[in-house]
Parts: sequence; C-alpha cells; structure tokens
Amino acid sequence: MAQIFPRWINKLPLLGAVAVPLAGLLAVGGVWYYFSPRYTDVGYMPRQPVPYSHALHVGELGLDCRYCHASVEVSPVANVPPTKVCMNCHSLIKRDSEQLAPIRDSIASNRPVRWVRVHMLPDYAYFDHSVHIHAGVGCKSCHGGVDRMVEVEQVEPLSMSWCLDCHRNPDPHLRPRDQVTNMQWVAPKNQLELAAAIRAERGIEPPLDCSGCHR
Amino acid sequence: MKPRHPTYWRSYAQLADDPGFRDFVEREFPAGASELPEGIPRRQMLMLLGASLSLAGIAGCRKPVEHIVPYVDAPEQVIPGVPRHYATTMPFGHSAYGLVVESHEGRPTKIEGNPEHPTTAGRSGPWMQAAILDLYDPDRSRRVLRLGEPSGWEAFVAAWQELDATLVATGGQGLAVLAAPFSSPTLARLAAAFRARYPNARWATWEPLGDENVREGLRRATGVAAQPVHDLERAARIVALDADFLQTDPEMVSSARGFAAGRRNGVAGGEMNRLYAIESVYTVTGANADHRLRLRSGEIGGFVAALAAELAARGLAIEAAPGARPPAGVDPQWIGTLAADLLEHRGASVLIAGASQPPAVHAALVALNAVLGNVGRTVRYPEPRDAALSSTAELSALAEAMRSGEVTTLVLLDSNPVYSAPADLDFAEALSAVEHTIHLGSHRDETALGCEWHLPRAHFLEAWGDCRDASGAPGVTQPLVQPLFGGRSDVELLGLLAGGEARPGHDLVRETWRGILGELGFEQRWNRLLHDGVLPGSPAPGATPRVGAGLPADLGNSGTGAAEGLELVFRGSPAVHDGRFANNAWLQELPDTMTKLTWDNAALVSPATAAELGLANEDVVRIGHEGRELELPVWIVPGHADGSIAVWLGYGRSAAGRIGTGVGANAYAVRTTAAPWFAGGATLTRTDRKHELASTQDHGSMEQRPLVRESTVDGFRRQPDFAQRMVKMPPLEQLIPDHDYATGYQWGMSIDLNVCTGCNACVVACQSENNVPVVGKQQVRNGREMHWLRVDRYFVSDGGDPAADPAPRAVFQAVPCMHCENAPCEQVCPVAATVHDDEGLNVMVYNRCIGTRYCSNNCPYKVRRFNFFNFTKHTPEIVKLAQNPDVTVRSRGVMEKCTYCTQRIAAARIQARLEDRELRDGEVRTACQQACPTEAIAFGNIRDPESRVSRLKAEPRDYAMLAELNNRPRTTFLAKLNNPHPDLAPAADPQPGDSHGAAGEEHP
Repeated sequence: MAQIFPRWINKLPLLGAVAVPLAGLLAVGGVWYYFSPRYTDVGYMPRQPVPYSHALHVGELGLDCRYCHASVEVSPVANVPPTKVCMNCHSLIKRDSEQLAPIRDSIASNRPVRWVRVHMLPDYAYFDHSVHIHAGVGCKSCHGGVDRMVEVEQVEPLSMSWCLDCHRNPDPHLRPRDQVTNMQWVAPKNQLELAAAIRAERGIEPPLDCSGCHR
Repeated sequence: MKPRHPTYWRSYAQLADDPGFRDFVEREFPAGASELPEGIPRRQMLMLLGASLSLAGIAGCRKPVEHIVPYVDAPEQVIPGVPRHYATTMPFGHSAYGLVVESHEGRPTKIEGNPEHPTTAGRSGPWMQAAILDLYDPDRSRRVLRLGEPSGWEAFVAAWQELDATLVATGGQGLAVLAAPFSSPTLARLAAAFRARYPNARWATWEPLGDENVREGLRRATGVAAQPVHDLERAARIVALDADFLQTDPEMVSSARGFAAGRRNGVAGGEMNRLYAIESVYTVTGANADHRLRLRSGEIGGFVAALAAELAARGLAIEAAPGARPPAGVDPQWIGTLAADLLEHRGASVLIAGASQPPAVHAALVALNAVLGNVGRTVRYPEPRDAALSSTAELSALAEAMRSGEVTTLVLLDSNPVYSAPADLDFAEALSAVEHTIHLGSHRDETALGCEWHLPRAHFLEAWGDCRDASGAPGVTQPLVQPLFGGRSDVELLGLLAGGEARPGHDLVRETWRGILGELGFEQRWNRLLHDGVLPGSPAPGATPRVGAGLPADLGNSGTGAAEGLELVFRGSPAVHDGRFANNAWLQELPDTMTKLTWDNAALVSPATAAELGLANEDVVRIGHEGRELELPVWIVPGHADGSIAVWLGYGRSAAGRIGTGVGANAYAVRTTAAPWFAGGATLTRTDRKHELASTQDHGSMEQRPLVRESTVDGFRRQPDFAQRMVKMPPLEQLIPDHDYATGYQWGMSIDLNVCTGCNACVVACQSENNVPVVGKQQVRNGREMHWLRVDRYFVSDGGDPAADPAPRAVFQAVPCMHCENAPCEQVCPVAATVHDDEGLNVMVYNRCIGTRYCSNNCPYKVRRFNFFNFTKHTPEIVKLAQNPDVTVRSRGVMEKCTYCTQRIAAARIQARLEDRELRDGEVRTACQQACPTEAIAFGNIRDPESRVSRLKAEPRDYAMLAELNNRPRTTFLAKLNNPHPDLAPAADPQPGDSHGAAGEEHP
C-alpha cells in the first residue's frame, strides 16, 4: 500500500516552527506600526474649502499666528478666524480672486466657512492652548513647520503617549514667551539650561495624572 | 439608668429586617440589575451586538471628518472656548431669583445664584438649577397653532388686530385675561395700560399654589394685603405651622440662609436658634426642627388659639379666648414650654404659617408676632409692588362669566387652568363656551388643546422681562439666547394687547426702566443694571399691623370639618411644584428628601393610619372627597399625622410631554375652591391593585454604623469632640505604601450636617454640572439611579422600639464620593481605571474601565454609579445643548462617580497659571458647594491651614465617616447639633457617645 503522506510532509513541523512565530511577529509589528496614530494620523491633509496657504501668509508675508488665531493665549481653543478677519486684507487685495470666492460668499450670505479640522483630539481629552503657550511651548512643537505648508497637514501623532513624552520631559520644547510663535526659532546650544531656568521661573510641572487632561 | 440609645433607620423594611431588605442591601446591585430592560430578548441583543461590532469595524476604517465653523463676524467679547456669565432674574410667581448663567458660545449651560441679589445671594435651589433643562425641553411648542393647525405670529397679530378693532369700541366688553401671578414693573405697567384701553375687560390672576390665604390673613390683621418677609437670621425661636420654609416655599433660599446663620450661632458659642415645627406632612422643615409636633392641618388653628391662650395666661397682652383647649392629644406642657420660650425671646422669635393654613391663622400670627415684638425685627409685612396676585375668587368669577357667555375672548398668559383649576369650576367646560381663546404657554398643554390659538411662550432665558423679589428689589430678566422655538414672552403678548401692536420685549422693558432709572444717563445705568442683574436699594418698609386687635373669632374652628373622618391634605410637590416642572426629567427623578420617592406621587399616610385601614406601601387606594375620586398608591411615612392623607399636586399631567405625561395621578381632580388645601371627611377605599413606586430609600444602605453623628448644644459644650469619640478606632495598619501628599494643592471637602437642611439643591446642581444621566422610573426601582451625590435621610427614634415610634426625628446627610486617600475602590480595580492623582483626587478613568464593578462592591460609602445602559444614547439633540462641554459624557459599561468637579479645579488652576499666581482659597467651588443655600459644603486646599475647609476640618465636630476602616476620606462631616428645650428633651437625651453603632462604640 502506498504511503498516504508524501515524504516532504516531514518538513512541515520545521517550516511551521519558523513560519508561525514569524507570522506572529509580523502581525504584532504590523499592528504596532499601522494601527498607531503615527501611521494613521500623521500626514492627514484634508482639502479645505479655501486653499489658504500658510506658506504664503506666514512663511512669505510673515503674519504672526495670533493675527488669525487670536484666542490662543487666553482660551483652551486656538480659534479659526471669523470671515471678517480674511476680509480685513482681502477687501483690498485680490478682490477678484476665484479662490477667495467662498470667503466673499460667506460675507455676503452671512454663512460661515466650514473649515475642516486637521488636528483632532478625542472629546475626552481636554487640551488647553493658553496654558501651553503661557508655559512657553512653541506652536511648532505640535503643529510642525506650518510656515512651509501650502496645505496644513498633521505632522505629529497627537497620541496620548506622545503628549506624555513632553509632559515627562518638556525641556526640548520650552522657549522664552516672546518666541512661542516664531517659526524660525532654533533651540540654542544651552537649551537645557534655558529650559531649566524657564521651568524654575514659571513653576512648570506638567501634570502626569489622568485628571490633568481628562475630566 | 442605662441611657437608651437612639436608633437610626431608613425604612420600616429595614427595621423589620425583612428578607427583601436584607436581600437588597446585601447585593451590591439589586437582583436582575445586570439584566437587560424588557423588550430586547437576549438572542436579538446578541445579534445586535454582532452587527454593531462588524459595523464598528467598517466605520473605524474611515477617519471622521470634523468641521470648524467660525463666526462670520465675531461678536464683541466672545472668546471661543471661554464661557461667559450673564446676570438675569428668574420669575417665580410673585417672587424672583437673581441668577448668573454660564453660556458657552451663546449656549446657556449652567445656572448659579447671583451673589449681588438679595434673595439668592449667590445660592440656588433645585428649581433654579433645573430651569436650564426646561429651556432645552424638546416638547416645548414650536409654532403658533390655530385650531391645532400650524399658523404664524403674523397671522395671529393680524387676527388679534381685527378682534381688537371691535373690542376697543366697546371698551373691551367680553374680553378677559387670566394671568399667572407676577411682580414685574413692566407687566404691571402693561396691565395698567391694558385696563385703560379696555376699561370693561375682566382680569383674573391665579395660580394653583398661590399664597392668597397669607395675604387675606394679613389684610384682616393689618388692612393691607401684604406678605410676610422673614429675617430668620435674627430669630432665636422659630415656630413653623405647616410651613415648609426650608424646601417647598418660594423663599426657601433666603429662609435657609437665615436659619443656618442661627444654627451656626450655637456652634460659635452664641445662642443657637430653636425651631418648633407643628405640621401634618413630614416636611424637610419638620425634620430640621428641634421639636416637631405632628398635628392634622385642620387642627393647627386650634393649636394657635391654645398657644395664644397660654401666652395670654402668662401675661402677654393678647385678647385670646381664655381656656382655649389644645387639640386632642397635644401635651399641654408642650404648649406651655413653647409659650414660655417665646416669651423669653420677645423680639427675637417668629411664628410662620404655611400658605395652606387658612387666613384666620395668618391673621392670628400677625397679632402674635406683633405683641411678641417681632414685627420689624424678624418679620416685616411689605406690600408686594407691581404685582398681580393669585385669587381664587377672581378665577371663580371668571369661570362663571365664561359659562354665562359673558366672555367672548379669553387670553391665558402662562396659565394651565384646565389641568390645575379647582375641580368644581370645571374649567374645561367653561373654556369651551368662549368664542375666542388665546393661550400663551411653553407647551401645548391641557389648556392649549382646548384653545383656538396656541402661542409658544419663550423661556425666561430667552426673553426680556423684569421682576421684583420678595423684598421688593427689582431685577431684569435678560435673555441669554434667541428663542429656540420662536416663542414670545408674556411681556410681548401683553404689549400687543395693551398697545395694539406687536413690539419687541426689549423695547417694552427699556421703556419701563426709563421711568425707573430716569432719562439722565439712562444707557449707562441700564448697562450697569444688566451687569448686576438687580437694582440695589433699600427694601420697602412693611406695614405696621394694628396691635391688640385680638385674634380672629374663627381661629379655633378654622379647619374645615377637620374633626370628622379622614383629613385630605394637598401639597405642592417638592419636585415638580404645581406641575409646571412635570416635564423636567431631573426633577422627576430627584428623590424627595423625606419619602425618597421618584417619578410618582402617592397618598402619604402615617403608620398608625395605615395599620388601622389595613394598608401597605404601594396599595392603590381610592380617595373620595365630595363626590370626586382619585386613585393613588399608598406610601407610609413615619411621623405623618394620624388620620390625615397627604397628596402632592403637580402629577398626573395628560399633556406635559414625553417625560411628564402620565406620571402619577392628578390630585387637582379632587381639589375644590372650598377646600383648596385640606378638608375633612375624606374617604379611603382599598382597591386590590398595587402600583409600583420607585423609592431610593434603601439604596446604598450603610447599615447600623455611626454615619450621622449628632448631639445637643449642651452636649457639645460639655464635650466638643463628641463625634470623634463615637467610634473606637482600631489600630490602623495598611499593606500598601502611602501616596505622598506633601506637595501642591490637596483638595478636601467638609460637609456641615448642622446646617444641611436636605433641600436637594446640591443633587440637581451636580446633575447639571456633571452631565449625570436620567435613568427613568423602572431603572430607579432597579437601583440604577446615577446621581453622583445623594442625600441620605435617616429616621431617628430616641429610645424604645423604633417601629412603634409614632414621631421619629429625621436627619440628613449629603453623601458624595469621599475621595479616600487610601481608597478601597482603587485596590480592587483590575485595570487601574480608578487611581489617585497628586492632588488627592480619586479619579475615574472612563476609557480604562471594563465594568467589573469590583470598585463599587468595595466602596463602603456606596457612591459609585454604573452605567448599565447607554443612558445618554437617546438624548435628543436639543437636550445635548444643556450638557456641560467641560465634562465627558459617559457611556455604557463604565463606572462613574463624583470627581470633586475636577473640571472646575482644572479651569481655575489654568486661570491661576495664566495670571502667574497661586490659587486663592474659595476660587475652586464645586457645583454642590456653589448651589448650597446654607453653605454647608466647603471645599478647598487642605494643605493650606488658613483655607476655609482646613479651619472647618480643625473643628472638634469634624469626623470622618467610617474612618475606622482606615480609608482616610478627604470628605469629612461636621456633626449635627440639636437644641432641644430642656423641659421637652426626649427621654433619651442624645448624649455624646450615643450612636447608631451596635459594635465598636465607646461610651465615655
């Protein structure tokens, strides 16, 4: 009677011993990488109703962040500007630009422009812009080099572990207060000393407790 | 003699230790609590779960797109993300409450008292707190209706102007207005203009729970229909006769404040006030009394006559019928002691009667207060200004005129007489006889259904108006939001009637105030008024009563036939008042302080009466009164007057909305003009049906341990730290190393049981601040209520068999999460979902919680609440607007509990950081603390020895509940002090050392 199983079957256990852990590793590694906000969220660049270029307005023209995001120093949220703020300039400049049509429509119809949120935090995380600005965390630390973005994209994962990295060690991100919105700021050689001085002066102890951000 | 210990108990079921009770308290969650609500079979549920899982998988692949919608033209001063606060005034009958309302980007979310306002002084009560939910009631009417068909304001105004043309010609012949009472400069001005335009028109003012008895009594005694305004802070002896001035009275906030000041006096070494309560229904005021006498409402007149006779016999210059005998069963010594006590405190005592007592009693009290020298000191009698006051006579005359065809056009301003008018008037039938009926109301209610026109009424947070409070101080009602459903205000409708043209309320109110503030610098003063909410000024002086007029002749027999048969007593509901809050889910689910009932009214009877009639809890009985009948379930209340049945009004609405329709039974159906408050000769027949009631009284029982600790003032003087000695502390050891609490802010709370009146303001405030869901009657029965803060009520029997005690005392204890430093809940959580933070808060991490509920099992205080269902899932969109954006809305399967209002701590901490300073004491206030009318709750940094909370915790009365478990709770209590008269002190003087503990006590 012929053999039921061919000879090569004998190699299967060996193959399995190699392949199964490998597949497991791949699965874990895949989830680790592909399910993390670093993969899923970084690079999110939704199309906005008006192709407002931060590269032009901030990078070339040198507008300060706070010209538009005026509430950032006093409010948990850095507001998106009312249409009127756009019209402060655009009632004089580029009055006929096709790209600005939604802005003119908004003013004429008194209907707001519906911008698409780029940096999304979950509703149970209560991030407060004002206190971070006050501590001296630069806009760039979370939002990246907005001055070079034609369309705004998310550059940091904004995950909880990423938040905690900075809360545990804020030193690389602290600046003098008047440099917070400076997109060209380069950390000085003695950044750690500077940070230590800032922390001492302002009594900065970022909360690590759950209640620091969740309410 | 071995001192007899007081027994602290919650319910008769507990006393009897019946198996049901045992079963209830021994289970962490009641039997079946983990079961699904009926209606979804398990199999279907599994299918749904499977389906939602796979759908969740698909939905999870796509990143949700969120939009940011900025303003087109940002309003001045509005900073996105930063709430703003506006002062406004809430009208309530002819009272007014000064409020400060929090608004998030134009969306009002939270109500607090206005610190500048003389009535509220920064504090609030349950109705004020709950008013925010009424604003977002999805059942409010949304459009003008004519004969039930959608119409519009323009159509109504045109129709009115057409009617008006004929009415003006006849001076308003056939025109009538039925209004709710008010005390408003603008409404009064417009009402006067209305009368001038239509001299022949009829005007009636009426509300079901009006205080016309009080004013009629005052008119008889003083000649002026004034109203009493009490200054309880100056009253060392207070006598409350069927008066619930600490909870259901419209002036409860200011009364509670004054009462608490008198209690604090005793602690500080001065004289503590003493409260005598004589009442039929066991009220919160009765529970706070040092001496309570239960008496049928109809016997209170006789009691006053006997008290006056006793005072006269002791030399007080009052013309009392000599030898007036006290009602049967009242100990003459009790009256004698009370009389002596009052005489010793001339000028510093006050007698208060509830609005349910007949005019004769009020007239007698004016005379008594006058001869005791109290008028001008503890009580004033100012005349209500700019007011229209409730009058049943006016309503009866109106109904008569309607029936006779005399009225052809009837305008109803914020009035629902078809539901609430006395049954003998048969208002629905009278209404059908009127040709044109115009109803302005927030809901398409019982009355609206029978009217030609229904106009949606704006909420007070949507409308311009003004009102005077009890002291006469005028305030402006300032809208925080445009009418959500296109409603118009009373001011606007009356403006149309009085002026013939529709004008905005803003213009009408400003026009009035031009007269009050003067033309000169008007804008500036007007803006100041809007900022402050109230016009500062001296309160109106009261009328001086004619002294020596003697007592009304009909005082003794003022109870209408109280002697024969059962007495039927009507009371406004402590939750839904006269029915106006029936569609407010927070109030429907608010456990009544005394009965702990939610979502229902019941026939309240005493245990003796129940035994005599063979009644048990939840038996449905048929109450007959003058040929009318009402069916209600029975609820037995210890300490209720024998032979008296009390029913709450305000339930049994047939057109209240999705919350209030069909909840309870309508007691207005047996209420008549002859006996609006109480009547003798009621009959009670048992049916063989049961109606399940949802009471929370045995929920979260802590069983026979010294939880509430109390003593007398004398006992306290002898041994100030009595509370700390009530428990023998075992050696305290622990396995887990201690958390370090030596730095930063360390939060703690102190709750003063001595001034906690049990008014429930904190419970609603917490619900509003923390997005606490409503679960409904069935889930309350299952023990799934979600209130983060509850008010425990214990009955206290001073010796003897508690089950046979006819009149137990009652004490209250507000119980939020204790934030134990050594928290039992944290030690058993398998996923570290409940942990400590550096500031001593026991925080709950919703996202980590997997719903094992071990924490709740291990919590000795029973303050954790579990979301058995996704209670917020079906919240209507509009109601979501009432939610606090700073607090996470929790979902199914997650434990939650008091957070010490961590969102308020965070907000204050950030604000202090932005200003580069430390937090100041009193800067962080929890919602319960801010609402509390008596400031019984203190909160702050316990590391700062100068903070208010630290100073209170250093008091000898301070004790930690169940400290012997070594939990080290951050919330501690200040023991309660009673001030019984030495001659009346109960046989078992609650000595220091007495407690409701059976074991582990120490008796010094």
